[in-house]
Amino acid sequence: MPLSLYYYLSITAVNILMSWALYVPYRVAHLHFITVANMTISGYLSGYLVMNLHVPFGWALLIGFAVGGIIGYIVSLFIGDAPTFAVVMVGFTFIYITRTVIENMDVIGGTMGMFGLPNIGGSPAAHRWFIIGILYALVLVVGFLIFRFDHSRLGRAASAIFVDRDLATSLGVDIKKVGMLLQIFSCTLAGGVGVLYGFIYKSFHLDFFTFALVGIFMTVIFVGGYATQWGTVVAAPILYGFPLFFPPEVQSWRIVIYGAILILVLVLKPEGFITRKFVHSIGTALSRKRENS
Amino acid sequence: MQVFIAQIINGLSLGSIYVLLVTGFNLLLLVAMIIHFSYPQVVVFSMYIVWIVLNATGNNLILGIAAGVLSSIALNVLCAPLFQKVMKNRGDVDINATMVLSMAIGMIITDVLSHAFNKGLPIAFPEALTGSKPFLRIGLISIMPGQVWSLLMGIIAVGCFFLLLYKTRAGRAFRAIAEDPAGARLVGIPLIKTGFQSYALSGVLGGIIAVLLAMLLHSASPGLGEQISHKVLAVSIVAGLGNLVGGLVIGLALGILEALVQGYASGSWSNAIAFVVMLVVILVKPKGLFGIKV
Repeated sequence: MPLSLYYYLSITAVNILMSWALYVPYRVAHLHFITVANMTISGYLSGYLVMNLHVPFGWALLIGFAVGGIIGYIVSLFIGDAPTFAVVMVGFTFIYITRTVIENMDVIGGTMGMFGLPNIGGSPAAHRWFIIGILYALVLVVGFLIFRFDHSRLGRAASAIFVDRDLATSLGVDIKKVGMLLQIFSCTLAGGVGVLYGFIYKSFHLDFFTFALVGIFMTVIFVGGYATQWGTVVAAPILYGFPLFFPPEVQSWRIVIYGAILILVLVLKPEGFITRKFVHSIGTALSRKRENS
Repeated sequence: MQVFIAQIINGLSLGSIYVLLVTGFNLLLLVAMIIHFSYPQVVVFSMYIVWIVLNATGNNLILGIAAGVLSSIALNVLCAPLFQKVMKNRGDVDINATMVLSMAIGMIITDVLSHAFNKGLPIAFPEALTGSKPFLRIGLISIMPGQVWSLLMGIIAVGCFFLLLYKTRAGRAFRAIAEDPAGARLVGIPLIKTGFQSYALSGVLGGIIAVLLAMLLHSASPGLGEQISHKVLAVSIVAGLGNLVGGLVIGLALGILEALVQGYASGSWSNAIAFVVMLVVILVKPKGLFGIKV
């Protein structure tokens, strides 16, 4: 597999998964940016485990998921039902604190980062197939779980919270419990993806986990459509691939392009391109076609 | 003891800048009803404009300061229709959409600064603006002109702002909208026009802050806006979103805390420690210490 295709496929999968990690808590209006800090923490931890303690990659990945989930659980105890801006701020503060702690920890490379992570599966070619395989298997599993969630009572409860918290409470929805559950899911996912993100490049560096990453995931969700999981699936490959058609000097303005697209979409198509209505109309059209044939 | 006093003075001057930033942020929140998360990025953009004009005019301070203030007003007012369109789209239920829009504006400003100005390298302001000699020196305590100016201007600007808010017709309109937008509309206060005025006023504040920050820090970098915007949002949340008096107290407290940590701990940890303290407060009291006023 060519290196460029490998990076395109793997980063697209990471963008889908991480945007879903933001999408799920946003169902109750929580912009949970702590996910980027979780990526960093679990990623660096797994790198340390594999490089220094020679822990097998599979175990390091599982530990990455678990650590993400534990952090998500502890934080959600406090902000499971907090207002959106408080959740945003907790995310940003976590990112800052995580970055500062890692910068000052020589054991994981400090500002220099961690390099030379081993190939998973032996050769570099096998490593690429292995990483792509895990990432897309994860996309399928997580996609299925979110699909089930969206069509469940819990999904409807989340929608009620998003529209009107007071109404949701009066309907008997436990706002804190739903918020906590979604935040834990999101953090667990982010922890695992953080491990895979580092293993894509076989290195960990703080430049991989900047605030620009928050901007990219946010653009994917809001441009694709924040009301359905399919928006992310459509927007992630297009948004990552779109700047690649331009010359390198234009590509370096990628974040400006994303910012401009995000502003245009917020102003012109507030719900993003793939709305619930759109998904519903496609579903209806498909079922009609099936009936006719 | 001298280190302690020196750091308290540092903290007060830094804190007065935070107070100004939080005041501008809260003004937009209360009157225009937006969470302008990237307001500090607008300020940093104005710092760059000051730097460009100073370089181009051979350090003409009047032109430099005027350019800083005008650019801040222009950027704020230019963003206003975007915010108003988003507000109209979503209705007044979803104030978060304005925060996302503001983040997008911030992304663009930060990236433009890191590509188009000084090859993305930090910029240094000339001594004509920052002052080369201390204003006062007693033992270890040396007070730089930037510190005196930021403290003085902080007091004057906040004083004028409160006067405007509580002693003028425009201020009464601002407060009426903040208290009850529907009621304000009923008594004939033009919401859109008053909203625009708040964008312009926060632009003026932003320009002043840009000049003071340049005098205090002596330099700026593309990432500075991001860092300050997170602190400003944190201060407003810890104080209670939209709470002007709370913002004043917590802004000064953050400045002093940061300065004390810088004085007694390693520099790289100072931001983290300030953020840990704010994180703990947000986790324990997500609605702020002084209560939300939105």
